[in-house]
Amino acid sequence: MSTLSRMPVATADRVKPRRLPGVDGVWVAIGADSVIFAILFMSFMQARLKDPAVFEASRQTLNMHLGGVDTLILLTSSWSVALAVQAMKRDQIDREPRLLLGGAVTGLMFMVSKSIEYFQKFAEGITPATNDFFMWYFTLTGIHLLHVVFGTSLLTYLWIRSLRGTYDHLHRAVPESVASYWHLVDLLWVVLFPLLYLMKAV
Amino acid sequence: MSVLRERVTWVWLALVVLTCVTTWGLSKDLISPTVAVVGTFLIAAVKVRYVILDFMELRDAPIPVRMAAEAWPVVVAAMILGFWFATGA
Amino acid sequence: MATHAPPGISAPARDVSPYRTDYRMWKILAWTGPVFLAAFFCLWGLLADNIPPFPPSATPDEVWQHYADLRLPIMIGMSVCLTMAAFYMSWSVAIARVMERIEGPGGVLSKLEMMGGTITCAPLMVACALWLTAAHEIHNIDPGIAHMLYWMGWLLIDLAYFVTSLQIAAVSIVFMRDKREKKLVPDAVIWWGWVTFASFFVVSAIPFVTTGPLAFNGVISFWIAFFTWFFWIPSLSFFIIKAIGRLKAEDEAAGRVNA
Repeated sequence: MSTLSRMPVATADRVKPRRLPGVDGVWVAIGADSVIFAILFMSFMQARLKDPAVFEASRQTLNMHLGGVDTLILLTSSWSVALAVQAMKRDQIDREPRLLLGGAVTGLMFMVSKSIEYFQKFAEGITPATNDFFMWYFTLTGIHLLHVVFGTSLLTYLWIRSLRGTYDHLHRAVPESVASYWHLVDLLWVVLFPLLYLMKAV
Repeated sequence: MSVLRERVTWVWLALVVLTCVTTWGLSKDLISPTVAVVGTFLIAAVKVRYVILDFMELRDAPIPVRMAAEAWPVVVAAMILGFWFATGA
Repeated sequence: MATHAPPGISAPARDVSPYRTDYRMWKILAWTGPVFLAAFFCLWGLLADNIPPFPPSATPDEVWQHYADLRLPIMIGMSVCLTMAAFYMSWSVAIARVMERIEGPGGVLSKLEMMGGTITCAPLMVACALWLTAAHEIHNIDPGIAHMLYWMGWLLIDLAYFVTSLQIAAVSIVFMRDKREKKLVPDAVIWWGWVTFASFFVVSAIPFVTTGPLAFNGVISFWIAFFTWFFWIPSLSFFIIKAIGRLKAEDEAAGRVNA
């Protein structure tokens, strides 16, 4: 039970205590990561302020369609994982594996999509050293991609354990923690995509 | 459990629609940059808010955590738009 | 609910040294952590002008001029900092002993922590010595040599991060396993350790970039990587110092002869 439970939340059918999903400590990591990324977004905007023309010209070479598809992939991944956690709460142990696998597979799809995008850029002779925009582009998407790789590994681990019926309403702290981390990875991309790909100059 | 009746499914559908609006709608050249950028980031903030409240389940979190979490998309969007307006062509 | 572990949970008599435990010395060693940070921050950071560092994109002439201009402050800052870096070692000994109370005497993770903390002193000291030398000898060396000494210090102090990472990981793992109802080190500090651990990896990029967020003066490789660590040291120290007091109380309540 979360040690941060305080005032109950009144809902239509019953009173639920306020709680944080998963292990409390993971929220320190999620909070820190989101603040760090906010700082990075700000640094990016500061760098853009100094050379908007280069940033705009470089932005236009990015593959917006692939980026949009990446957003849809991660949103779907989060949805699948959220459904998996709901299944655990309801002790629907048979449903869990396919939903967790769905999360892992979509994570893998994101990784493949990003790799294709990176290789397209390298083929065009564009690297992090090309200019400030591309330094930021590769750094931000690269660090995000590391988060995706880590998260997908965790989801794969959860999938394997769920095949043995490890998780149910009483045993879901670890999957809930992983799920919360995965939703963070999703929401960071929701900001990163427009920041890098869609932000037209004045 | 019918997936279609789940709240998270409706949230997912809304997020997908909003993504299409920003990626393939607001990005069209006939829309002015100001409208496109402000619209895109306001929508992004709304999307983040729903991921936070309904996927991360922070709707039922202790109030201080929920407040901090809801503040994040607002602060981030405001900061980004603030810089955008301060940046010349 | 006990604020200290009842005899069933805390270490049985065989896990505690048969010799008297010197709680006072233990606490003094724990305090050397904050002392280290204060010294490092003020001497290396402020006096020697490393917050933020002089840019990696600087030319040899610019680096030479920087050392010529700041010769005395850098010499003072680096020499004293080099000496006081030893406090990071003494601090890690105190932490290891608290960890042993959870892991058992001679546990591998407490050993890893102590070694990690001790070896961390090496890149700190050598880097300070390199920069001290650059300042000391600036009127005898070419700009190219000054530039080399500058980079050598940064490459060493930054890329040796994994020794510290292992120290941090060992701390987080052991304190996570604390079975006390009120842990000796709270979850927030444990997880901040993991945030710090994660933030170090990207620093490996510094040899390859001289501008931008990953450069050794950049927002990621400097501001985030250093400040997560700067925050970990005092927050962990606070709870280690308190833990020693709690362990003393546990020992006394359990009637242990050596307490």
